[in-house]
Amino acid sequence: MTNIPIPNRIRIQNLHDVRMQMKKFDIQDLAEFFLLYESKNQEIEPAVLLSKMDYHLQVMQESIIKGLQKPNVTSSGLINGGADHMKQLLQHNQSLVGPLFSKVIMNTLAVSELNACMGRIVASPTAGSAGVLPGALLTITQHKQIPREKVVRSLFVAGGMGEMISLNASLSGASHGCQAENGSASAITAAALLYCMDQDFDCIESGSAFALKNLLGLVCDPVAGLVEVPCVKRNVIASVNAIACAEMALSGIRTVIPFDEVVKAMDLIGKDMPSSLRETSLGGLAVCPAAKMVSNQKRS
Amino acid sequence: MSLFDIIGPVMIGPSSSHTAGAAKIGFLAQSVLGKPFKKVHITLFNSFAETGLGHGTDKAIIGGILGFRMDDERIPRSFELAREQGIQIEFSCEKDSKKHPNEVCIEFYSEAEALLLTISGQSIGGGAAKIVEINGTPVWFGGMHDILIIQYKDVPGMVGFFGEVLGDHHINIAYLDISRDAVTEKALAVLKLDQYCPENVTDIIRKNIHILDVISIRRLSDQYSNT
Ligand code: SF4
Repeated sequence: MTNIPIPNRIRIQNLHDVRMQMKKFDIQDLAEFFLLYESKNQEIEPAVLLSKMDYHLQVMQESIIKGLQKPNVTSSGLINGGADHMKQLLQHNQSLVGPLFSKVIMNTLAVSELNACMGRIVASPTAGSAGVLPGALLTITQHKQIPREKVVRSLFVAGGMGEMISLNASLSGASHGCQAENGSASAITAAALLYCMDQDFDCIESGSAFALKNLLGLVCDPVAGLVEVPCVKRNVIASVNAIACAEMALSGIRTVIPFDEVVKAMDLIGKDMPSSLRETSLGGLAVCPAAKMVSNQKRS
Repeated sequence: MSLFDIIGPVMIGPSSSHTAGAAKIGFLAQSVLGKPFKKVHITLFNSFAETGLGHGTDKAIIGGILGFRMDDERIPRSFELAREQGIQIEFSCEKDSKKHPNEVCIEFYSEAEALLLTISGQSIGGGAAKIVEINGTPVWFGGMHDILIIQYKDVPGMVGFFGEVLGDHHINIAYLDISRDAVTEKALAVLKLDQYCPENVTDIIRKNIHILDVISIRRLSDQYSNT
């Protein structure tokens, strides 16, 4: 294959473009492609970007540790030590499926609760869904003893997949509902997991598409306008979903609907979503009697 | 967009618009003020007013005003820390459909209760923020550029004057916004620069008798960088 020089800027609209450009420039590795994409477009050396991402990984690790230090309780009281409960469950060997599964849930809760308690997190892609990537990716890669450099590179895959969603739909609950936050978080996490398992483009695309498909239509309806209920537990469904979808892709199951089309579907669903279900707290769980009691207390 | 906007920013939760963006507004505001103050009055508008207090928007803004970055773990304790510095804090909430859903107006006061600066900002999503008004004059900047704010008496030739000083020091102007107040006959220029304007250059500008104030602000990516 002839070597085509890589231009100063890499323009891509969707994952299909990514596939084509990787062919054109003879790049095999998806993380390598997104690293190059970022490096060219931001005019920053790859080594600098890698060390910056390493720092973001470090903050994610710290956020799990901090989220498990003590029971996390918010001033509203809506979040009341969920991760700590999971810790007890694990310590007493009462896990339903097995310790690794419980650990994923615990770590996801830890970060998401830490976020609710004004702790330091990496928004990925948003603060409301910050528990997903660390909870699933860090827990599983630690268990699988994946080298740190590989995990850092997988975050470029996650970032790149998120960029594809942001270019063609949205990553904001206020704009497209929770499918855009926790749905996207789940999709980018599945992609990163599969990258860490040395999977190829098709496999990564399928796992990521599954994860987003499974959460399509998810509305944004935070009780009393706080990023607490249902947000924290939705992080758990998104991280568990990411792992299940990565597992399916790993087994060889492939998506019927290409990733780009799933993203497009998410965009259209988001645009059809009434504003009451897009972070305004005027619909869904936010208007349940129990939720209204919380909102009233907050006002008084 | 940068991939670090997706795997990032590193921030204090719980919400990129209600804490990260809010902290950034506070930070920008104090860098525009650039001098000590004794009291702040903060008006939260619309969504900021509705959910702001629960989201910690209040703490994030105060943290920013104290000079904390959006990932600074002192933000949750910002009220306490402000009190220790002898800074008085007042909050009020307002609804105004003409304003952005996440807007805040900050007034800084001196020890003698004199109003030093009125500045408004908007949190526009994903932790990004813009300063939209300074002392009643519309402006628009968000820390992406190095900024120079020049207040001067509205006499002819002033733009040429500071344009030349900057040119002499090889500082390129990317954007220039000018507005003036007919009553006070004062004009305000907000310049977005390709590089930071150092003190020796602001000193030269300041020497012109028609210049009332010069504030040079570094782009946030330098101060906010996580590495
Ligand atoms: S429900 Fe809304 S606020 Fe909560 S995590 Fe989902 S998108 Fe974010």
